[in-house]
Amino acid sequence: MRVLVVEDDKDLNRQLVSALADSGYAVDSAADGEQGYFLGDTEPYDVIILDIGLPKMDGISILEQWRRADRKMPVIILTARDRWSDKVAGMDAGADDYLAKPFHMEELLARVRAQVRRASGHAKAEIECGPLRLDTKSARVTCNGQQIKLTSHEYRLLAYLMHHNGRVVSRTELVEHLYEQDFDRDSNTIEVFIGRLRKKIPVDLIQTVRGLGYRLSEVPEQG
Amino acid sequence: MRFNSLAFRLFTTAAAWTLLVLPIAGFIIYGLYRDDVQASFDGQLQKLVNAITVDSMGVGQGAPSAPTNLYEPLFEVTHSGWYWQITPLDDKSAARLVSPSLATASLPSPAASGIAADATGARWMTAKGPKGEPLRLVEVIDTLGHEAHTPRYSIIVAGPQDWLDHLVANFRYRLTTALALAGIGLVAVTLFQVRFGLLPLRQIEGGLAAIRSGAATTLKGELPAEIEPLQSELNALIRSNQDIVDRARTQVGNLAHALKTPLAVITNEARGEKTGLGAKVAEQAQIMSESVKHYLDRARMAARVNVIGRVTPVAPVLGPLVRTLERIHQEKKVKIEVTCPPDARFQGERQDLEEMLGNLLDNACKWARRTVKLAVEVTPQTGRAPRRRLAITVADDGPGLTDEQRARIGRRGLRLDETKPGSGLGLSIVMDLAQSYRGSCELARGPEGGLAVHLDLPAV
Repeated sequence: MRVLVVEDDKDLNRQLVSALADSGYAVDSAADGEQGYFLGDTEPYDVIILDIGLPKMDGISILEQWRRADRKMPVIILTARDRWSDKVAGMDAGADDYLAKPFHMEELLARVRAQVRRASGHAKAEIECGPLRLDTKSARVTCNGQQIKLTSHEYRLLAYLMHHNGRVVSRTELVEHLYEQDFDRDSNTIEVFIGRLRKKIPVDLIQTVRGLGYRLSEVPEQG
Repeated sequence: MRFNSLAFRLFTTAAAWTLLVLPIAGFIIYGLYRDDVQASFDGQLQKLVNAITVDSMGVGQGAPSAPTNLYEPLFEVTHSGWYWQITPLDDKSAARLVSPSLATASLPSPAASGIAADATGARWMTAKGPKGEPLRLVEVIDTLGHEAHTPRYSIIVAGPQDWLDHLVANFRYRLTTALALAGIGLVAVTLFQVRFGLLPLRQIEGGLAAIRSGAATTLKGELPAEIEPLQSELNALIRSNQDIVDRARTQVGNLAHALKTPLAVITNEARGEKTGLGAKVAEQAQIMSESVKHYLDRARMAARVNVIGRVTPVAPVLGPLVRTLERIHQEKKVKIEVTCPPDARFQGERQDLEEMLGNLLDNACKWARRTVKLAVEVTPQTGRAPRRRLAITVADDGPGLTDEQRARIGRRGLRLDETKPGSGLGLSIVMDLAQSYRGSCELARGPEGGLAVHLDLPAV
């Protein structure tokens, strides 16, 4: 899952990035409105955290421009202005959620999880796929109740597949959604991680769809 | 018309002046007329006395003769009030001549009464006639042929004074009537003048009422030159009042932004630090951020005190709020059911209404199972409640509160459940806002067992 943080306060930006990275997200960050707008317009993020009061371009205009360009990713607005008129303006500009400063990081992470789940059509905090069970809250995966130990990259990959289970996910999509912007994007690494995941999960649920990508399915692959 | 009013002052002074001047004028006119009538009557008598003197006191006669001309037919009618009399003064044996009307009576002599002659030699007097009727007499003393050292005669002509009095009384009656009508007319015109003259003040009164009720934002209309400066000053005052509030609000907002981001940083940093110091800083930062919120809310409220003429239609506020809240709580799929009459209007700031309803609805959504009901009613003007009120109820179908919990929250705006942040503070700001509008916010048990909050606010 890839997240963009647009926040001009350096310290808060750093805190957000590290908290999100610790929770298993690939995080990009922007310190001003123009950069934030550009990243959100060009990169496929799963969630964007957007401050309203930004230098160069304010959050509401950024959001309105994204929505006008039909970019539908979930956006959580982060602002010190917590009047209901501000919230209404933010939501009407196309935000999906609203968080007033100061906030608890746990609260923010919960909202991010909720947006990711909502975007992929899952209602509960736990996503199941056959014997596999993903607890988005604690970032843990179990198979038939047994916990599977994963590295952060492996977790990201599996979590993305589980959020989109039953659907074919291309390698490009995986690369775009799993790595930060400046990460060395070698699609071979995806294959390596898929291979590792297959070893760690007792039942092979990850299907390779030749020429298209991968699919996580409840029914184990035949043969 | 009130006792202490411009209209009363203008009207009473004008009316008093009218009531003072009209009788004086009447008195003067009456006096002039009476003198005039008297003078003309006297002129007639003088003419008669002169004519009779010339006629009856001819040269070469031994004694005066009765005038050959009748002059006045009433001299012939007994006791008609018109008389003449020629009396010898020196020769006591000479005969006395009188008009037939006088019969056997005689006329009193002004000369004998000691009245001095005027420039023409006539003596004037008012006396009683043969019947006791008032008479006007004129006496001329002359000699036969107007020659010196011959016996003198007194020639007296009398006319009825009551005829004169009747004429004057008649005039007085008509004059009084005319002046009284003029007086009534003047008072009526004054009343109209005052009303008409002060009409622009009425207009201002209406304009101010419109501003208070929010129907207008400035004092409109073409006003007369005298009060036009008042109008422009008042409009400037309203504008600057609004500007001050808006500026204060902007600055409070800026302060909020300036404080909240560093507080967020400190809180997050401290919570990451698993030491005693970290915990202490996190705890203190939490207190600070709540204080910031608390006092910023109150600063916003204070900035708004006595802002005049803001009216907010309720229905347009509800739409966006409900949309926003349903979106914020879309995980729970809470449905907000709204009933609101289209003409409900809140007498106050839009932002404040949004704040109150937003906090109440947000609270209700947090606790609700399925639905939140928002009902707005406008209670009409009655004798007991001189103004229209808004009765707003926000009820959820959640677990609700016990009587004891409700009493505690109602008292302090306390937060009962730490896991649902902001609920207590949200409620306390709603209570403070409602109070600042002289309204109230009460907690009750909802029809579906949840919490119901009744908000009472001024309406227009």
